Amino acid sequence: MATPAPPADARRASFEHEALVHLDALHRVALRLTGNAADADDLVQETMLKAYRAWDSYQPGTNAKAWLLTILRHAFINEYRRRTRRPETVDMETIEPFAVFPDVQESDPQGAFFDRIVDEQVLRAIDALPVAFRETLVLSDVEGLNYQDIGRILDVPVGTVKSRLFRARRLLQARLYDYAVEMGYIKRKAG
Amino acid sequence: MNCDEALDHLYEFLDRELTPEVERAVREHLHACAPCAQETDFEATFLKFVQARCRAHGAPPELKRRILHELFGE
Repeated sequence: MATPAPPADARRASFEHEALVHLDALHRVALRLTGNAADADDLVQETMLKAYRAWDSYQPGTNAKAWLLTILRHAFINEYRRRTRRPETVDMETIEPFAVFPDVQESDPQGAFFDRIVDEQVLRAIDALPVAFRETLVLSDVEGLNYQDIGRILDVPVGTVKSRLFRARRLLQARLYDYAVEMGYIKRKAG
Repeated sequence: MNCDEALDHLYEFLDRELTPEVERAVREHLHACAPCAQETDFEATFLKFVQARCRAHGAPPELKRRILHELFGE
């Protein structure tokens, strides 16, 4: 015999308590994936509706944020990716990661120049990353998920998460460094 | 553990994704090697900076209202 469904009030309360609290996180990820506010809002709304419909299949006590982000990413792939972003031609394995640290080791080893770079510029640099790098970096470095959860959400092995994260971070770092040099926040190492 | 090995594990170390034994080996190397420790601090600063810059804004209140309305008819 099936167990009776919990009363609507309890279902709603648990959803508010465990799912709706992640609204900010879903919205941040949606913005980075879609690249615009209107699509991000729609994507988050759709995610929450799907999540509420599927709420009985969520296992209490497991990572609700990762569960929600999995739904969000599926919705994004199915309905938004094709029309909001052009297909990417970049071959990710050929991107040679550039390390900034050796360049600034003498002039600014503590990376103080980062402090002068504003939110907008960082977000723009993230948005310019290839989508596979962007989503990995956002899930890790903005949302703080571990490699295993990221691998599950993106449906890739942990080794792939690791290598994408490495390249994504180095790429982002190099672009922000170039920007800081351009703005005169730091001098590029001669030679 | 030498410098190359320690730096190979740098991000996994900062992400707390290493096994306890490897993490200990990296930590010991960083205690003994100032340049690697400096590079690790630099990368840690970068990661904190990225998170701080990206978490400044929350979801718009209007979106939350829209979702509550859709879900619960309020």
